[in-house]
Amino acid sequence: MTIKRWCLFLVVLLIHITILSGCWSKNELTDLAFVIAVGLDKTEDGKYVETFQVVNPGNVAGATQRGGGSGGIPVTLYTATGDNLVEASRKGSKKISRLVYYAHTNLVVIGEELAKEGIMDVFDAIERNPQFRTTATVVVARKQTAEELLSVLTPIDKIPASQIIKTLQMTEKIWGENLDVHAGEIIEALSLTGKEVVMSSFRLEGNKNTGKQQKNVQSIEPYAKLHADELAVFKKGKLIGWISGEDARGVLWVLNKIRQTALSVDWEQKKEAVVYKVMRAKTKVIAQMNKGTPVISVFIEAEGDVGETLVPFDLTNPTQIAKLEEKIEKEIQKEVQKAIQRVQQEKSDIFGFGEVIHRSYPDEWKQMKKTWNERYFPRLQVKVKVDAFVRRTGLRNKSYLK
Amino acid sequence: MERVQLSARQLFMLAILFEHGSAIVIPLGVDAKQDVWLAILCGMALGSLLFLVYYRLFTYYPTVPFTSYSQQIVGTFFGKGIALVYVLYFLYIAARVLRDFGELLLTFAYPETPLFVLNAVMMLTIMYAAYKGIEVLARAGELFFAFLYLIAVLGFVLVIVVGVIDIHRLQPVLEEGWKRVFKVVFTQTLYVPFGEMIVFTMLFPYVNERKKVKIAGWLAIWLSGINLALTMAMNIAVIGADAVSRSTFPLLNTIQEIRIANFLERLDVLFMIALVIGGFFKISVFFYAGVIGAADLFQIKEHQRLIYPLGLAVLLLSIAIANNFAEHIKEGLNIVTIYMHIPLQVVIPVLLLIIAAIRNRHM
Repeated sequence: MTIKRWCLFLVVLLIHITILSGCWSKNELTDLAFVIAVGLDKTEDGKYVETFQVVNPGNVAGATQRGGGSGGIPVTLYTATGDNLVEASRKGSKKISRLVYYAHTNLVVIGEELAKEGIMDVFDAIERNPQFRTTATVVVARKQTAEELLSVLTPIDKIPASQIIKTLQMTEKIWGENLDVHAGEIIEALSLTGKEVVMSSFRLEGNKNTGKQQKNVQSIEPYAKLHADELAVFKKGKLIGWISGEDARGVLWVLNKIRQTALSVDWEQKKEAVVYKVMRAKTKVIAQMNKGTPVISVFIEAEGDVGETLVPFDLTNPTQIAKLEEKIEKEIQKEVQKAIQRVQQEKSDIFGFGEVIHRSYPDEWKQMKKTWNERYFPRLQVKVKVDAFVRRTGLRNKSYLK
Repeated sequence: MERVQLSARQLFMLAILFEHGSAIVIPLGVDAKQDVWLAILCGMALGSLLFLVYYRLFTYYPTVPFTSYSQQIVGTFFGKGIALVYVLYFLYIAARVLRDFGELLLTFAYPETPLFVLNAVMMLTIMYAAYKGIEVLARAGELFFAFLYLIAVLGFVLVIVVGVIDIHRLQPVLEEGWKRVFKVVFTQTLYVPFGEMIVFTMLFPYVNERKKVKIAGWLAIWLSGINLALTMAMNIAVIGADAVSRSTFPLLNTIQEIRIANFLERLDVLFMIALVIGGFFKISVFFYAGVIGAADLFQIKEHQRLIYPLGLAVLLLSIAIANNFAEHIKEGLNIVTIYMHIPLQVVIPVLLLIIAAIRNRHM
């Protein structure tokens, strides 16, 4: 090769070094503030308050190595105020020394006051930002601001946001009164006319001031504790009501979100005497038209075991089991019917029945769409049919009770 | 003309990569809402008819590219005019796709990098590929074809396994009737990506198995049509018709929904790879067709000599084409479709075919 070609070759190589390294807008790990949870509130003069729960990486890793608790605090809380979310987020840089980085944000907490005022406009920024994931869980802070809910240290899962998400997922899975709702699902519900938003709430109990301190996780019973609370019902993006207890579980039955739960039925004059553990459940919702009025049918299939009996009960007898199955079916049906009536009072179609009708009867839906929540949904006829199966009875068949 | 040979298989793979190109990542035909998969399939069916037109032209003149036989069909003067228009069209579309590619990467992955830098890096690679010629591009296509398919299958399986698909989101089918579907077919999906197969009229003469050209082209159109329809249907079944129609990249949103057991998530890189590979082949094919078209038209023996000037022109054009993303998309959907795609993909080829058929009957 001639010298000229060698020079050219070197120049090309040098260009490649600059291009291929791809460090145009690099961010070192030590320059990022990993926001694990975002809290949203509104001030009295209508500004947004954004709360960031930022992971303190050194302390998280240290805490697990040393067996917990002895190091610093795993997360730090910052707040920033602005006319909108982007402004608040950017203004946060006045307090945080690192770039606020949202790619690991798994939780969005909405303060109750903001929820009542309306969440319609807060999701645009979340959806638009390429860092933010729409798979982040969203909850409402019950009876407090999002900032208060996020400012508590938790003992078992060191990072409070993880504690909230994991609690929510676990209770949804084995008890079924709470819902793990993603931002994407909320945005979808906000955009559809035949479906309204429903999500879980979380509550902070105990001493809020001590909850912020390391002391909270050094006590056998934390001074302040987080727990999953009622379901928040929204209408057109505004929080309008709460659903709790068995009604909440009824809502989950309809939404096909029940995976496991336990329910008890009366047996021979004794109240709540036999406990049925649901291990698998499936719900189907179908719309039909009956002389111009829509009818919704909810089909529920549940499979499970007997978990506990408080009366002498011969579980070796298949006819007894069949009788029990019938009772369970009635119990579930009652629970679901009650929940539907309760939601119909709120006049907000959180079940998405309107969408089911839209999908099966698009022409008829066009007439109903505008007044769906006001006129049709509260008076909607809903049929509930349940098939329950008792598969096994655990390690014993008959009870020791005689 | 280069003295190279493509096999029918290479043509097929190149066409598949070309068809998937940017179509798989952009919100293609989403005005049809949940019926978009129908719109794509209809576009595919009509697109294969259009391909038959291109193929018939090729059978009349199997040894020369489009820019040459246009001169043989309507005479040197008009033929050269037509050839020039097509060369400009190919280069313009190359610039448009390059802009698409740059904008997409910028919005999602490189928010702080200037558009020019991204486009320039991509264009340099494409110019290098065009310099090496179509044979090299086709061989690279064979490699990337396997790679892209692996990713696609992996993505599909993961989305299905995760269970985020809700088939009911595709209902109600034909909510607004066939009218809305056909409107989208005739304004969008027929031309992009299926009608864009017109660019392959420049490459057909290189294929050594002439009899297999038709079947290779058709298979490519059908397979990519089915893939695109499936992908869009999957997007809707995962994130809903409304979100798809508002999204800049529906496929990205779908991939982001994949979360398996708290460790297999954030698979955006799959999307990025599909975007870069597809973009590269689509721009390369257009650019190469433009370059050899110009070489053919101006009687330049080595097409390599045109690569630097034309490459630079495409690069600058891709920046100058629009002020913002919205303007770029709007132009693409309205102006380009009416004034470029319809006349150049449908009207002129059909007219040329009619004239060629009459001429060749008398000959």
